[in-house]
Amino acid sequence: MLNFIDARCQLGRRGIVREGEPVTKSDILELMDRCSIEKAIAYHAMAKEGDMKAGNDLLLQETEGDERFIRQWCAMPSTFGEFMGAEELAEQMKKHHVSSIRLFPKTHGYSVKPYAMGKFMDVMAQCHVPVFLTYAECGSEDNLYSLLSSYPEVNFIISDASYRENRKLFPLMEQCKNLLLGTGNFVVHGGVKLICDYFGAERMIFDTGLPMGSATAAVALICYAEISEEEKQLIAHGNIERLLADVKL
Amino acid sequence: MRYENLVYEQKPFDGVYVLDVHGHIGFEQGSQLGPHDGKSIVHTMDRMGVDAVCVSYSPGLRGDWKRGNDITAQVCGAYRGRVLGYAAPNPFHKDCDVSEYFAEDRGFVGIKIHGNIQGETPENDPRYAHAFELANKRKLPVLFHAWMPYEIDRAADVARQYPDLKVIIGHGGLTFAREHAVAVCKKYDNVYCDTAISSAPDGSIEWLVDKIGIDRVLYGSDMTFFDCIHTMGKIALAKLTDEEKEKIFGLNAKSLFGL
Repeated sequence: MLNFIDARCQLGRRGIVREGEPVTKSDILELMDRCSIEKAIAYHAMAKEGDMKAGNDLLLQETEGDERFIRQWCAMPSTFGEFMGAEELAEQMKKHHVSSIRLFPKTHGYSVKPYAMGKFMDVMAQCHVPVFLTYAECGSEDNLYSLLSSYPEVNFIISDASYRENRKLFPLMEQCKNLLLGTGNFVVHGGVKLICDYFGAERMIFDTGLPMGSATAAVALICYAEISEEEKQLIAHGNIERLLADVKL
Repeated sequence: MRYENLVYEQKPFDGVYVLDVHGHIGFEQGSQLGPHDGKSIVHTMDRMGVDAVCVSYSPGLRGDWKRGNDITAQVCGAYRGRVLGYAAPNPFHKDCDVSEYFAEDRGFVGIKIHGNIQGETPENDPRYAHAFELANKRKLPVLFHAWMPYEIDRAADVARQYPDLKVIIGHGGLTFAREHAVAVCKKYDNVYCDTAISSAPDGSIEWLVDKIGIDRVLYGSDMTFFDCIHTMGKIALAKLTDEEKEKIFGLNAKSLFGL
């Protein structure tokens, strides 16, 4: 039986919830148990939807002493001191055992071009911090290419790529070896095998997008992919474990 | 727990009848798909334990309706009983008549309506009437691409006008328009929802079953846009009983399609 580490999970009360959907931390834990997900890399809904700093603080409170969740902060480049500077961010991450960051450039209204990301990304690169974002948050494939090619030493985990984006995504994966694909909503027929065959299993990271994404579908996509057991192990947990072990805060 | 264990053990869904009511074959204009011919989908079905899939030929929905339906017929013939056909009418061609595909046993089991990629044609447009009349006469299912509220309303209008055909609301039961789909299902006995949507969170299928009843929910994958594994996993690991899952996987559809 495969054990999974989920690389994309959101904790906390979110603005839009529809009847029947998972909401609370215990809802998420129940789904993780049902889907054989041992741990999840989690950021806080407030850090995305509301106040980034407050949300990151809430994450610390809500994951205190809980070994099922690996802390992730939402972050952005600081302009005029709005958010903490890159060096302070790295220090705070180390202090609070936060091992990765998630960017929401579209939601939070900043550019991912190097002129805007500059020092922020340089520090993340020095510390080997994996950077997570969704495809849609980049705004365009050209933005994504600019970001990925400007910081080749940073591992970017790009998730939630719609099947409609494949003709843009695949050349990016070919050109940018630092692009790792989150599997959660990569629903293409035979898509997991396709990526493994063309780019290698080490380029995929299991994620769910819980609680808005489906963990049950995400695990089935890997369990039944037409790839070797070794490749499944890499995708399910091996690749993300390797990235997190390499963090040098 | 039977179906949860199959996923955990990575075993195919043998011993349960699985009928996928929402499939496609063929190249897609706007995006690169994975393998998308008859051979590749049957290969996936064999691996997963899917008994049969109902398909339309995607390029024929937008383009040449005759060639599209002929290709569907060829694939149905090559994989008899495993690949079943939806005949897809085109509203812009006065000579379009899909009845020939049902004149003898060519493997067609229903009609597919995809108005939004046919010049935004309303799903209840009179130019589709010949296909609806055929479906009504033969008590066939009609699969509508219907995930917007107005698309669902128009599909409901077809259900009202043609009470002997069976309307399948493709995607709609699990999208942002799901309340709309539920209201339509409650109003008309001949309306069903399929599960073909990639973005629905966990709990959505359970929610739909709770709202419209277990007998109206049909397994649909949207293969080959999506991998059929995706939605099978959602159903297999849902908080439903094994008996309820079996109905969704195929027993409901088997009855609906008269197979």
